[in-house]
Parts: sequence; structure tokens; C-alpha cells
Amino acid sequence: MRDIITVAKFTMKEMMRRKSFIITTIILVILIIIGFNGPKIIKFFSGDSGEMMQGEKIIISDSENVYEGKLNELDQQKLEYKIEITPSTFDEIKTRINNKEVKAGIIIERKENDVLFRYIVNDTMSTMPENLNEALQKLYTNTQIEKLGLTQQKIKEVMPEFEMNTEQIEEVKGNSFVIMLISLLLFYAIYFCAYQVSSSITTEKTSKIMETLVTSTSPKTIVIGKTLGIGVGGLIQMLILVLTAVVSAKLFLDPMLLEIVLSSTQITPLVGLLMFVFFILGYFLFATLYAVTGSTVSKPEDIQSANTPVMLLTIVGFYIGQSVISTPTGDMATFGTYFPLSSPFLMPFRVMMGVASVQEVILSLAILVVSIAVVAHIAIKIYSNAILNYGTKLSIQDLIKMYKAK
Amino acid sequence: MSLVLKNVSKNFGTKKAVNNISLTLDKPGVYGLLGTNGAGKTTTIRMLLGIIKKDEGEITWKGKEVDRKYVNFGYLPEERGVYPKTIIMNQLLYFAELKGMKKDQAEKSIEYWAKILKVEEYLNMTAEKLSKGNQQKIQFMTAIIHNPELVVLDEPFSGLDPINTELIKNVIIDLVKRGKYVIMSAHQMSTIEEFCSNILIMNKGKAVLQGNLKEIKDTYKANRLEIDVNKDITKIIEDLGLEIEIEKNNQYKIKIDNEEVAHKLLDKVIKEKIQVNKFEIQKPTLNDIFIEKVGA
Repeated sequence: MRDIITVAKFTMKEMMRRKSFIITTIILVILIIIGFNGPKIIKFFSGDSGEMMQGEKIIISDSENVYEGKLNELDQQKLEYKIEITPSTFDEIKTRINNKEVKAGIIIERKENDVLFRYIVNDTMSTMPENLNEALQKLYTNTQIEKLGLTQQKIKEVMPEFEMNTEQIEEVKGNSFVIMLISLLLFYAIYFCAYQVSSSITTEKTSKIMETLVTSTSPKTIVIGKTLGIGVGGLIQMLILVLTAVVSAKLFLDPMLLEIVLSSTQITPLVGLLMFVFFILGYFLFATLYAVTGSTVSKPEDIQSANTPVMLLTIVGFYIGQSVISTPTGDMATFGTYFPLSSPFLMPFRVMMGVASVQEVILSLAILVVSIAVVAHIAIKIYSNAILNYGTKLSIQDLIKMYKAK
Repeated sequence: MSLVLKNVSKNFGTKKAVNNISLTLDKPGVYGLLGTNGAGKTTTIRMLLGIIKKDEGEITWKGKEVDRKYVNFGYLPEERGVYPKTIIMNQLLYFAELKGMKKDQAEKSIEYWAKILKVEEYLNMTAEKLSKGNQQKIQFMTAIIHNPELVVLDEPFSGLDPINTELIKNVIIDLVKRGKYVIMSAHQMSTIEEFCSNILIMNKGKAVLQGNLKEIKDTYKANRLEIDVNKDITKIIEDLGLEIEIEKNNQYKIKIDNEEVAHKLLDKVIKEKIQVNKFEIQKPTLNDIFIEKVGA
């Protein structure tokens, strides 16, 4: 146990001292901060563009009285920007835009039997806000139908608001977009941490330190210690990123929006704990698989091809998880729940969505733990025999022989 | 008796890498392990260190079966290696801790050996900034910092300059004085002759010659004469039917079958009143014995 801790501590320190680790963490922290400041940054860079932002003013001129004085009814539409209805010419609107009194202007004109909206802004990239366009069209139609003698009530009956709502057979909680996002983050965290195990072992083989190492402690200690060390290093990195996200959300995000996001994710303490447990177990499963591939190559250039089969397994597991998140019940969900390569990517979310039973969670965890034990046993056996092989990349047959060897 | 290998064998597939090897180290000293590339030396070393398992035989240390969990040998592998991007002090501490040392103990030992091996100034540098020779000295330190009773050195001098070779030689002599057991594998026969009282020569996994080096040499007859004279004696040598191996400035190395013919040559040279600066009848060197046993 003492040696496992020594190997884990050394591996973790080495991983966190590496420039690539420090730079990646800094870049991710910056990206998270930028992400949470997205709306502010967009506003800063969009600056004087004609794109309408909340609270800005737009002037509407209906000199030809196309709306027959009913434009004031736009106030009922709850648009997020201020509207001023004043008869104005193009030059008058242009002057007011240049003086920054208004953001944009609309001149309504008749064009034969049609209606023309001239949207006036100071750049060519902006288009008329979609909701304002719809509101103007609807107001015009209503005005014209009213002229035919129909009451507002009748108009509503003829042209009701159509609302679309998708509902699943079983009641599912949580926002699927947020779930997929967290699942994707979990996948990358597991994948990159596990991948580090493989490259760490290959580095030791490449630098020929392995022979000294295996006379200092047992291969089992090395595999477990390395896996633990890199796992803890990865967790620390994730913790830094999560903390950055939490602090950024508190500091930069609109409290209302934050409230909506948090309530839609349904992350309860139990779900949080399950995410942590499945992250750890998923990481151990893939890390031990990567330990095998890392020990089979002697040159850094071979590591990519050696890791491909495990990488494919990781992706298969992740995609099963993704398909189950969109269809959380059914045969695929049952398979994904018990299949150890996919369960880490979907079980916390099935619990989050309220579609997994306690028995399913326990059985899924049990299968995962047993799978880790089996894979770790095979990995340590192969690793013990493969690490001192400095020749060409080992084939599957070689690995089977190594597993069977004493 | 401390280290005993008894009828040890190891197979890799159908290839017998080590075939029925036995050796005994019963007192402190340096034991030489010789053989061509692929002779089975490294496999033997890996088995006695417990890195790989033997298929047959017995390996004991102080009467107990060697198990990596219980023995604490020092090892300098043939494949030189250090962590390139790790601070030297950190990697030495890492290996010392894995070998059961406490941090303060390890630091003292590292400082001691760094001073002896003249690498003190590099302890806070990363290994990639060190020369190959200095990296080798660092790796040598990992083999001895934990004060092991048995040290296995696989080609300890390869790639070292004469000054560093001398440094390592002095450390090996010091280890033996402290009662350590050293197993050394080397290709330079002169090094083995200088250090080892007992040797084992391996060829294709088998022991082809082993025992006390002096006793082995005593079983061989003289086979070479070295003579240094002040005149050309080529004709005298040829008249006696002898073959000159090397001739340079009237210094001759001549192949002989027995000592008598050497004395005959000396008589003739003296009769011719030629000045003799050196006359030495030589027994086969370890190099000769090695070539004879494993084939040129």
C-alpha cells in the first residue's frame, strides 16, 4: 500500500508539473470564463452594429398610414426593445441613428398591393428582428380582417396560436441538452485521464526507466499507483474547472438565467455523488485498458495506433450512452445500463431523469466493479510481461501468450 | 552461502533462453557474468532479481527463495534510463522511497553518493539537461542509495569516459570492502579480470565455463610469447617455425605451443648478442578463453 501511494504521488506530481497539463488547464479556465461572459463579449464586439439588443430603441414611421393608426397596438406584444412611432423620412432616421438616439428605423410603405418594410441600420449585416417582423405582419392582418367585420374573438378563433410540445411516454425530468453537455464533459474527462495512463507507461518504456522501476516495486503496484495518481490529477483539474464554472456563473451570469439552468438540470446531491462514483469507476475501467496498450509499445509514435481499439470502445460506450439519454427507456437503455463500457456515460443521467430504479443502479455498479477487477487482473498480467519488451509493437496473439505466461 | 542459483532454466516459447544454470556467491566480492549478446545473461539477471519468473530450478538468497517482495537488491540495467523531464533529486527520492527508505534517510544517502560521484550540482536539474555519462551515474546511484546487500551491474562502464570509469570502479571496490555482493556483466574482459575472482561464461543459454578465474587460467598452457629486442629477429622466429601475431619496432607477439620453444628462441637471441628488453611467456587472457569457449 505504501508503494502504491508513493507511485501515485509521484505520478500525480509529474502529471501536474508538465507544461501541457498547466497550459491545457489555463486555456480551459479562460474558455470557461469567456463562455460565461458570452453575451457581454458579443455586445462589446457588436458595439455599433444594427443588431437590436434588449432595451434599445427602434423608430417606426408609417407616413402613408398603411396601419391606419393602429401601430400603437404593438405595445401589447411585449417586445424587448422600445418602440417610437413617429412619421420620419429616411434622412431624419439616419440623423437620429448617427446621433445614437435610436438603434434602427423602419419605414412602412405601400408597394402596389404589398407592404414594404424598409429596415434602416448603419451596417449591412443586420436584419430586421424576427419577432418585430411577425408582430407587424400579424397586426396588419388583424387590422384588415377587422375591417371585414370580424371581432377580435372571431379572429383568435380563426387564427389561434399554435403551440408544439413534445412529451415522452414516461415522465422524464431534466433538460436533455444540459444532460448531453454534462455527459460529453464526463466522456472527455474519462477519456483524457485514461489516455494519460497509456502515455505515461509508454514514456517510461521509451526512457528505459522501466527496468529500474520493476526492480523497485511490483507491476501491480505500478499499474494501480499510476492509475490512482493520474485519476487524482484529473480530478483536481476537473475540480479547478468546475470551481471556475461555478464562480463565473455567480459572477457573470444573469441570476434569473442561472436559476433556470440549475432548476432544469435536476442535479441533486445523490445525482452528484453518482456522477462522481461513475466517473471514478469509468475512469478505472478505461485506464486499465489503456495500461495494456501503453505497455505494448516501445516508441511514442506507435502509441496512437495501439490505443485505437480502446479509443473505439470508449466511443462506442459513449454513443450508446448518448442514444439512451435521448431514449431513456427500452431495450437499448437496459443494455446500456448493464454494459460496463457505456454505463458510466449514462447511469447518472438516467437517475437524473428519474427513469432508473435503485436495483438498476446497484446492479450496474456491481457489473462495473466486477469488470474493472477482471480487466485490471488481465491488464496487470499482460503489463508485467509486456513492459520489458523493447521490440516491435505486440500483436493480439503476443498479448494472449503473455497473459497465459507464468 | 548467500546467493545460490541451482539448475535454473527459462524458456521463451520454444527457445531455451537460459538452460540449467547454477552459480553460487558465498562471500562478498564481484562475480563476473560473461557471454555474447543473446547468451542469456540479462534473462539470468532478471530471474535472480525476480523481474521474470524462472521455469525450472531454484534461486535462493540467504537460504530463502528469492521473492521481489522480500529482497532489496540494487540493479543497474543495461538499458540506461532516467525520467527525462523530472528533477534528479525527485526521481532519486522516488526510487529510494520505493526501496523502503524514509525521506530524510534517502536525502542523506543521495547527498553522500552525489558527492562521491561528483553529481551534486545536477541534483536540482532535470535529467534531460545532463550528459549521457552523468545520467548513467544518476542511474548508478539509484542502484546503491538504499545500501543493498547485493548489487547487480549490467555493463556498468559502457559509454563512460576514463575519469568516470575510474569513479565507478572505486565505488565498486568500496562496495566490496563494505561486504557487498556484486554481480557484474561486462563485454570488456579486462574489466572482468580486474574485478572478478569468480566468473560464469554463458553461450546460447548454457554455462560453458565457470569457476575461480585464477584456477581456470591455471588449467591453460602458455600460448603466447612477448619479446622486445633491439634488432629484427624475424628470421630466427621463422627458423623455429613460429608464427608472429604482431610486430612493431622489434616488439613481437608470437604464438607458442609450449614454454620450451620460447626458451629456445631466447637462447638463440642471446647467442646472436641481441639485447633483450622484455621476455614474457603468457598464459591465455580471459579474452582468449572467452573466444575459445563461445567461438570467434
